[in-house]
Amino acid sequence: MSIVIGGLAQFFLYAVAAFAAQNAVFGRSLGITSIVQMVEDPGRDSALFCLLLTLVQLLCAPLCWAANLAMASLSLRTVLRPLAFFVISALVMGLVLVVFRQAVKGPRGEKIARTLGPATFNTCVLGTLLICAVQNFNLAQYLGFALGSGAGYFASVLLVTEGQRKIDRRSVPASFRGMPVMLIYIGILALAVYGFTGHGLAI
Amino acid sequence: MNSEKAKYLAENMELRSRTDRLWLNNPVIMQGLGLAPLVVAATTGRNALILALAVALLLTPTRLAGSLLGSVLPRRFAIFYYAGVACLLYIPIYYVCLDVFGVAIRQVGIYLPLLVIDQLIIRRYTREKPERPLRALRRGVATTVGYCIVLLLVGFGREFLALGTLLEEPVLSVRLFPLAADPAGGFLLVGAVCAGWRGCIRWYKKHVNMEAKRGV
Repeated sequence: MSIVIGGLAQFFLYAVAAFAAQNAVFGRSLGITSIVQMVEDPGRDSALFCLLLTLVQLLCAPLCWAANLAMASLSLRTVLRPLAFFVISALVMGLVLVVFRQAVKGPRGEKIARTLGPATFNTCVLGTLLICAVQNFNLAQYLGFALGSGAGYFASVLLVTEGQRKIDRRSVPASFRGMPVMLIYIGILALAVYGFTGHGLAI
Repeated sequence: MNSEKAKYLAENMELRSRTDRLWLNNPVIMQGLGLAPLVVAATTGRNALILALAVALLLTPTRLAGSLLGSVLPRRFAIFYYAGVACLLYIPIYYVCLDVFGVAIRQVGIYLPLLVIDQLIIRRYTREKPERPLRALRRGVATTVGYCIVLLLVGFGREFLALGTLLEEPVLSVRLFPLAADPAGGFLLVGAVCAGWRGCIRWYKKHVNMEAKRGV
């Protein structure tokens, strides 16, 4: 019983840490290129992208944990990890695609299929899984960190999108409009997260 | 600048704005590619050199292999063969980086293996048609050079501002901007570099157009 409670406690602790103090975007700049593209292209469905990213990340977590455990005795594990995690991500993406194809038909299904690729092969997904592997997390920590990281990514996308919408474009100098002012805005938010944690994160 | 040259440049500005990967359409400044390693890992000149070497060895071969595989494999699998090739190439590249820089490559942490999935390396999969191998080679080299210029500028700049050193050699006795060593400072600095670069491009385009009009 105590093992289950301990596991749940670790799961929630790591989920909260990944969501706030170790936020993927503000702390480690993971998936930042996708955010820039999403904010600059309002036609993209950022909620769907983040939902798929979190789902893939969460499904990959136990498989990557098992793969990392299996490779623990190999001297080549550092160089094989990206390849192993890529194969796992590809398999999970295939599985998610099959399930969604069955469940969602028509244009919505096509949109999911189009979004799934960029949401899977993204620095946020691989980065989160690599952090878990490098820091030798256990299964509960893996799952908690993956869920928290995905939720934190979604919160970051909302914050950045809202910030970009509120910035008065006329008062921003021409050279700063678009990506430069967005990066400076993210930098200020990252500074707030840094002030909250008080130390830099391990990379 | 003479008016003939200005007229030629003004007429071809749109094409050049799309194809010039070094200056007018730099992958970082104009497209926001490869920002993750730039903001977090490129905190010193040495880290920037490690990442630059890895990008130089990874980007063009991946793009070239993607182009060759694209002519025989269905386009819907493009993401798999682009990322798969990058993951396979990462294995020898890791050892090359280890041989050149030693254990210092640990300072860039997960951002070295993360390059295999970065949009800077695999972005080409989003296009509907595969590019020709020669074009992939030419564009790959140009994108690599464009990215590495910004990477080295930011890496050395951050080391100078945060630590007052260049390649660990003391240059200043004061730390001008210690925050530059952190991701928050990285975002601020990269944002400022982007704004400055874009400002220069705006000035250049305006100058060329004015010179061309003066000639007419």
